[in-house]
Amino acid sequence: MSTWATVFAAGAITYLTRASFIVAGDRVGFPPIVERSLRYVAPASFAAIALPAMLGGDRFASFGDDWPRIIAVCVAAIIIVRWRNVPASLLAGMVTLWLILGLT
Amino acid sequence: MSSAAASTVPGVPHERRRSLRQVNGFSFDQRAFRTGATDIIALGFPGIPFGMVIGVVIAESGIGSLVGWVGSWVILAGAANLALLELMAERTNAAIVLLTVAFINSRHAMYSAALRTRFVGFPRWFRYVGPYFLIDQVFALAASQPDDMAARERLWNYFGSAMTLWTMWVASVTAGILLGDVINPDWHLAFAVPLLFTGLMLLSITNRPGITAAAVGGGVALLTADFPQGSGVIIAILAGVSAGAIAETRSEGAT
Repeated sequence: MSTWATVFAAGAITYLTRASFIVAGDRVGFPPIVERSLRYVAPASFAAIALPAMLGGDRFASFGDDWPRIIAVCVAAIIIVRWRNVPASLLAGMVTLWLILGLT
Repeated sequence: MSSAAASTVPGVPHERRRSLRQVNGFSFDQRAFRTGATDIIALGFPGIPFGMVIGVVIAESGIGSLVGWVGSWVILAGAANLALLELMAERTNAAIVLLTVAFINSRHAMYSAALRTRFVGFPRWFRYVGPYFLIDQVFALAASQPDDMAARERLWNYFGSAMTLWTMWVASVTAGILLGDVINPDWHLAFAVPLLFTGLMLLSITNRPGITAAAVGGGVALLTADFPQGSGVIIAILAGVSAGAIAETRSEGAT
């Protein structure tokens, strides 16, 4: 398979996953329990992306090296929960990380 | 294209067709478009260093800058794109490359299913074109809109966010290809990605079952991080949404 073909096939796969149910619309229906579970796609997905990205490097043994990042995430989390402001939480998290890594 | 399609509709005079379109009411809504575009910018910033890294990897992978660049906006998904480039640079079998892309991007089918009811009754062109732009942040914004948002506003808000993020992403990848490795690793800009997703996770939790879904989804993702071909993420998401639904059913049973 040529490089171009592989890249376009990868694009087609991505598009099909994204289009699947939006294109199907009301031609498909789910049982109530599945419909109910779909309300939790956002929290489950974002947690499944965030946690390994944060702690995934050396998995569970890495807490020792990663405590500046854990503090930075906690600062960002407090700002999100308190003010629901994404730009402020990103800035605060990054500045916290820079300060801790700069001071230590 | 739309006028050609409209002129093939028999028996409907031109004026009446226009009034039908007004009744359907999906004409351009500049305010909604601008709101979507503004709201997505902050969510797009963590993607800039990520996109630039992908640009650098394209330039260094030896697959060719043109095919790599076209691929970045054909695929339009950072994690899958990075995996594809790394595997192709190692000359991995195309079937394995595509399987990996399918596993990493299978979460988008969950996004699509979660948004399905919100786009029922929308124009057909939107339901085919809109999903192309369904990046994580676009989903986060679309899923967080109130249930009673007017359909026309929802459509143009989606496109405002989608096209803005598309532009930021393609510009970042292009900059990475052209400028090379200009981001100093000591700035730790890659850390903005988990910060963003932690924030999106917290914003998306609106009830106690949401906490359960996030805890199970995140916990299983840590346990399955080593699963082959990136298959751990979709397992974690399925576990998380199931746990959320079970928790919701139980809390109803208790009251």
